[in-house]
Parts: sequence; structure tokens; C-alpha cells
Amino acid sequence: LEISKDNHPDKIFRSLEEAHDLWRQSDIATQELSAGLTEQLRLILEPTLATKLRGDYKTGKRLNMKRIIPYIASQFRKDKIWLRRTKPSKRQYQIMIAVDDSKSMSESKSVDLAFKSIALVSKALTQLESGALSIVKFGEYTEVVHPFDKAFTADTGAKIFQSFDFGQTRTDIKKLVSQSIKLFDDARASGNSDLWQLEIILSDGVCEDHETVQRLVRRARENKIMLVFVIIDGINSSESILDMSQVSYVPDASGKMVLKVDKYLDTFPFEFYVVVHNINELPEMLAIILRQYFSELASM
Amino acid sequence: MSEKSLDKSQIKIRFFTRDEDETLRVSENPLFVPVSLKRFGLSEVVNHLLGNDLKQIPFDFLIEGDLLKSSIEEYLTVKGLSSETFLSLEYTRSVLPPSFLGSF
Ligand SMILES: [Mg+2]
Repeated sequence: LEISKDNHPDKIFRSLEEAHDLWRQSDIATQELSAGLTEQLRLILEPTLATKLRGDYKTGKRLNMKRIIPYIASQFRKDKIWLRRTKPSKRQYQIMIAVDDSKSMSESKSVDLAFKSIALVSKALTQLESGALSIVKFGEYTEVVHPFDKAFTADTGAKIFQSFDFGQTRTDIKKLVSQSIKLFDDARASGNSDLWQLEIILSDGVCEDHETVQRLVRRARENKIMLVFVIIDGINSSESILDMSQVSYVPDASGKMVLKVDKYLDTFPFEFYVVVHNINELPEMLAIILRQYFSELASM
Repeated sequence: MSEKSLDKSQIKIRFFTRDEDETLRVSENPLFVPVSLKRFGLSEVVNHLLGNDLKQIPFDFLIEGDLLKSSIEEYLTVKGLSSETFLSLEYTRSVLPPSFLGSF
């Protein structure tokens, strides 16, 4: 089978057999972690609001005081005088996993961690059965590799792995965010009203034009899309994103451009992000950032 | 405007030197810099990292042994590389006369 090096969308970069092996390895390596993540996500994503006492029932937990006088007045015929705890309806999610397919991922040796992360997160979400799952890849292009309306089966994983090459020569996060807004918008049209949309971005986090990205992230938020960014920080300790600085030029009082060096992450455009160095850290980190997101939503 | 232009394209680099002089060494941590930078701009960055704000030392830059004579962007184009590359830039004290440096 010929494996193309072209980055044009819809290209396949490894044989199905090779992709199956890769998926199997990633699956085995993350089995326990994914079971753990499912449990954590169940606690986080399911409604946490206390169930309310409500209704007019013939039996129940507590008396509905408003019904007592009519009850007596009706010679005890209107006997639906009890309250019960009702379960809140299950929240429905559309969850998109966006994976950085750009060349910097392979340059920083993040590929292995990326494959394991895709396997880990997609399995955990599938086990959760909380809604539809979509996978997109991004770089110069943003492309859907698994749509919301298709079930995620054992074969899906291998098929997805076929389309990753980590060779795209740009990392266009602006395009990713704006396309994601559109994809979620289209998907919402067919969904119900109690639909929550969440996007988990897996990337080395290296992207330019933080200001514009930040504006788009705000727009996503206005569209009620939850965005969390998982920075896969390569195993190569000599180039951690935590130690990276950014050079920029800003005008001084007289308008002259002056050199400025800041920590890269100080201007990182995503508010909810975590840095992961090792696959074992991913479940806990993802849980932390989602918990933080939901607690902020609750306080709004 | 070419060197500090509005073009937002950036690249991850690290600086290193073989100079014996310890006071010329900067951290090898990665830096995210505009691809439009040329030797003058890169020199300015190294001097900034060295804490030399007033007295700037002119530097030359080498990528895999080749002297950088253009912007990083042009270098990438010539070599057929993209800005996804992690570039190691070696710097040495400039041997060129100051008058010549001014033309960069
Ligand atoms: Mg990249």
C-alpha cells in the first residue's frame, strides 16, 4: 500500500493493518486509565444540581402543605398530597476531540502521546454514553475525521489513526476555532435544547497570533461551546512549553517598536488549559480542568 | 518595517554558542520568535537575554553551520522547511566591521 506524504485532506497515511496495530497498542496502554477517566467524567458531566421535591403524588417523601386544606375540604378524596424527589433529565453532550496534526507535533516527539491521548479520551467518552463524539484534525486545514452522527466502534479508532501524519506545515488555530464553531452550529440544529457542546483540543500548544485566537475563543464561549485545551508537552525535557519565551515588539511611549520577551504561556489564548507530560497524567488533568470549567459555569 | 513587520508568523528556536566566554551564554530554553527576524533582530534578542541593554554586542548566526544572511523566513524557503521546524541557532561574536553591519 502506498503511503502518501501529501497533506491534502482525506489522505491516508498508514495501512489499515498498521493503524489497527497502533490502535491496539494505544488501547492496551490506556485501558486502566480510560476506565478511571470514565468514572471521573461521569461525576463531572452529569448534572450535579440537587434533585428537587415536586409533584402531586398519592404516596411520597414529604407532605405538600398546599394540598392539605383542599384534601380535608374534599372529604379526603383529593389525596395527591405528597412530594417526591424527581430525577433530573440526563444531559446530552456533543463532544469534539480536536487533534493537532501539524509537524511540530512530530518535531517535539509528541506523536506517541497524541495517539495514546486520542485512544484514552475517545474510549472514556464512548463508555460514558453521554452523547455524540466527533474527532477532527487540524493544522493548515481543519478536517472532520469522525462525524457526530456516526457511532464510535472498535474499528473507528483504527480508521481515525489512518488519517494522522503529524506533517501539516502550519498550525492554524484560528481556523480550528472558527470551523469548530460552525461544526457545532450545524450539529446543534439536529439536537435537543438541553444540549451541551464541549471541545477538547489535544496539541503541543504552539501557535501564533494569540490575540486573534483569544477573540475567537470568546466567540465560541458566547455560542455556549466549552473549550478545554490539553497541551501535550513532549518527552524531550530540553524544550518544555513551560520554559518557552516569546519575542514580540510593542510600541513605547514615543511609538518606537521595543523588543519584549515574555513567558509564552502568559499570553496563551485559552483560559482552560492543562499541561500534560505523560499519559498517566491525562485523566487527572482533564478532570481538573473540566471541574474548573463547570464550577465557573455554576457561579455565573 | 520588514524586520518587525505585522506578519504574525512565528517559529520555535533555541540559541546556543560555542564561545568559551561564559558571560556570552544564554539559556537554551525555546523561544517563539517572528520568522521575519534577520541577524540584527536576532542580535538584539541575544543581547536582551544577556542583559546588555546599552552596550550591544553584534553577533553572527549559523544554522547547521551555514551563516544566516537573510531573514529566518527566507532561510526556511530556501531549505524547503516550514515554520513548524524547531531551529537551533548558533551565535558567534560578529567578525564583520560595524560599517558593514549597518547594512543588514
Ligand atoms: Mg504545530
